[in-house]
Amino acid sequence: MRTYILKRLLQIVPTVLMITLVVFVMMRSVPGDPVVALLGDGYTEEDAIKVREAYGLNKPILVQYVIWLGKLCQGDWGISILSGRPVLQDVLVRLPVTLELIVLSMGVALVIAIPAAIIGALRQNTWADYTATSVAMIGVSIPEFFIGVLLLLLFSIGLGGLLPSSGWVYLPGTCPMMVCGVSLWGNVQHVLMPAIALGVGRAAILTRLLRTSMLEVIRTEYVTTARAKGLAERPVVFKHALKNALIPTVTVMGLQVGFLIGGAIVVETLFAMPGLGTFGIDAIIGRDYQQVQGFTLITAFAFVVINLIVDLTYTFLDPRIRYA
Amino acid sequence: MLLGLTVIPPAEAQTPKRGGTLRVAYGNEILGLDFHTVPGYEMIWVATNVGCGLINITPDGKFVPDAAESWQISPDGLLYTFRLRKNVLFHDGTQVDAAVVKFNIDRIMDPATRSSMRTFYEPVHSVEVLDPYTVQIRLKHPYAFMMHMLAAYRMGLVLYSPTATQKYSLEDRKAGKPEAVVGCGPFKLVEWVKGAHLVMDRFDKYFEPGLPYVDRVIIRVIKDPVTQMAAFKASEIDFIADFSADHVDTLRAQNPRAQIMTGKETTPMMAMMKVTVPADGKPMSKDRAPHPIFNDLRVRKAIGCYGIDRKEIVKIAFKGQATPWLGIIPPGTLDATDVTHLCPYDPVRAKALLGEAGYGPQKPLTFELMTNTEKSVFSVIATVIKEQVTRIGVTANIRLVDKPSWLITTTQDGSFDMYVEDLASLLTVDQNAYLSITTAAWNHSRHTDPKVDEYYARYAREMDPAKRKAIAREFQEFSADKLYWNTISGSPFYQVAQPWMKGYVYQAEFKVHYKKVWLDK
Repeated sequence: MRTYILKRLLQIVPTVLMITLVVFVMMRSVPGDPVVALLGDGYTEEDAIKVREAYGLNKPILVQYVIWLGKLCQGDWGISILSGRPVLQDVLVRLPVTLELIVLSMGVALVIAIPAAIIGALRQNTWADYTATSVAMIGVSIPEFFIGVLLLLLFSIGLGGLLPSSGWVYLPGTCPMMVCGVSLWGNVQHVLMPAIALGVGRAAILTRLLRTSMLEVIRTEYVTTARAKGLAERPVVFKHALKNALIPTVTVMGLQVGFLIGGAIVVETLFAMPGLGTFGIDAIIGRDYQQVQGFTLITAFAFVVINLIVDLTYTFLDPRIRYA
Repeated sequence: MLLGLTVIPPAEAQTPKRGGTLRVAYGNEILGLDFHTVPGYEMIWVATNVGCGLINITPDGKFVPDAAESWQISPDGLLYTFRLRKNVLFHDGTQVDAAVVKFNIDRIMDPATRSSMRTFYEPVHSVEVLDPYTVQIRLKHPYAFMMHMLAAYRMGLVLYSPTATQKYSLEDRKAGKPEAVVGCGPFKLVEWVKGAHLVMDRFDKYFEPGLPYVDRVIIRVIKDPVTQMAAFKASEIDFIADFSADHVDTLRAQNPRAQIMTGKETTPMMAMMKVTVPADGKPMSKDRAPHPIFNDLRVRKAIGCYGIDRKEIVKIAFKGQATPWLGIIPPGTLDATDVTHLCPYDPVRAKALLGEAGYGPQKPLTFELMTNTEKSVFSVIATVIKEQVTRIGVTANIRLVDKPSWLITTTQDGSFDMYVEDLASLLTVDQNAYLSITTAAWNHSRHTDPKVDEYYARYAREMDPAKRKAIAREFQEFSADKLYWNTISGSPFYQVAQPWMKGYVYQAEFKVHYKKVWLDK
């Protein structure tokens, strides 16, 4: 097991590097660069050439990448060309917001998906099943921003500001700035709508998947045996059926993290949250190469690590699985 | 000259209350906080609160003291002498004096600074310190807009503390380190965390007694207008500094007591046509060749003049809340002249001109219409133009790109036929020079007509306002005739405030000052 984990951890390095290289090359291949935005109204071709030289943007792409990588190895994530701010500092300020959003979105998804899938599987082809599958289908079909706007209209405008429409309040002890709103209840209020907007779509996918798995598992012989020997329905469902049905669901949950990061860009923009999503989209739109690299690095790393954790979870769900 | 009209009720009748936090929403991110080099209105709206300048301008165009208490202009218009107040301090406690003014203007004029304001200081010969509180600016030639430039071009001269500027790097100022961004304005910078907020606190030693009224200003970026409206409705914000014209009616319906401020448009909405292309294929080359379509004046007039129905565009894209306009200067700018009647919508005449230029059913004209994703209204206008030119047998293929792609294409002489965009907000005709003289990087049409440069030079050096107005009129008629610069309409600008926000004076994009704002709650 230890050897397996070590191998997987080592695999993270080339995977993340490959992703950063691809993004590095792609970003420099799209039209536009930060220099035009940086110089703004005062743009002249002569100044642009000087600025590109100053930031090393006139060097070959691979040379630029190697320079970036060399600095990264020394812990230097670079400086934003546009704002002059250290990239690592901005990433660390924003990471907790997005992490909390993603974790809670997944929580929302599971809270909805698990009961809906169990009901759908145990009461197949009844109104409860049809309701669960129909709601799941609707959830898959509606984009995050639309759910977000509906929530805004309902809770922030319709119900007289029951939930705050935008911004962020930090959990006690986590404020990364000089001036912060800090409150547990405030944090819950601020994260609720974004987490629901982001989680509903994932809930729909997980519901459909888990329902199918549950249907397969409850027809297996060991479940029939469990019932035949007189085991109550609750342990049959939760201990025997659900645990085994969760394996493919957990796999998909790991992959869904990628979608959650993508969705976070939309949801954070809509709710004006100071997270990594808004950081990433601003960086891409501004062609702020250093920030894009920072965003890519952290999200790629998070994605790979979460999928490693998912793989390790299999051993808990099914003790027969062993990693050598 | 009016900078803008406002529907905000007069607050002066009430006694201002001190204290409280003003919560502001910006629609775009602040790009950085080096006031002399970083672009963007959002940065400037911070700079004019953290910083102070020599003079200021009122909504009706009068110049009023800021750090300078008085000034004199020599009869020949070459010497501007400013007498400074003696009680103006920077936030680091250092004194604002004549040497500070010289330091700042020299910094802007230094090519190494790469300030976007450098172009405005072209008429300046030198800055001299006459005594600790008297500074004199010597010009190379008379310049009618020296005071406008100091007060409001790119929102005006903002003074930085030389001590802090020399101690900290450009990167520190861009990044918004509070100890590096030291001004002499009513608010001192406390913190800027990009994507989260910018916080400014009252500067207790501000030179205007009793000001500012609020203790703190917190600026957050809320990009989505729906979220802005929700935050406004829920009273989470007091002021939206730049509100989308598309959503004004909805916000008004939801908040009948909201103060919705607007005025005459000072930003032009353009359908720019490219006139020349690099003959040698190198961007920005001085060796120019005619653009294959729009170098022909007959085609420019067929499409841009008679083939575009400006009223219909305004009706559809702005719900009628903009002014159809043709002149090179938008309706709210000093000395603007309405020359829109020179280009009435006339599809028959447009078709005839196209026929003269060799286009018709046998040789249909097709061109590329580029626009960008920054504002949804651009795409709407492009779509209406596409539909309108179809009526005269022309095909416009819309190319939608993001803002950086648009910027790089236009400023680097890239390939496009026509684009839709709104450009900079203009206080004067003169201010437009850097966007349209032959040598300007922002001369996106890449016209090469020296007459345009001559008009700007004559206008800027004419000291008689009446004669200047006549030159402006002649220039706008010339521009409408040549269509190097094809305006569609003005671009409306809105600001929104809660009913309890008092004392704010609307000055369009030019000035966003919070020093006299107070909260009546």
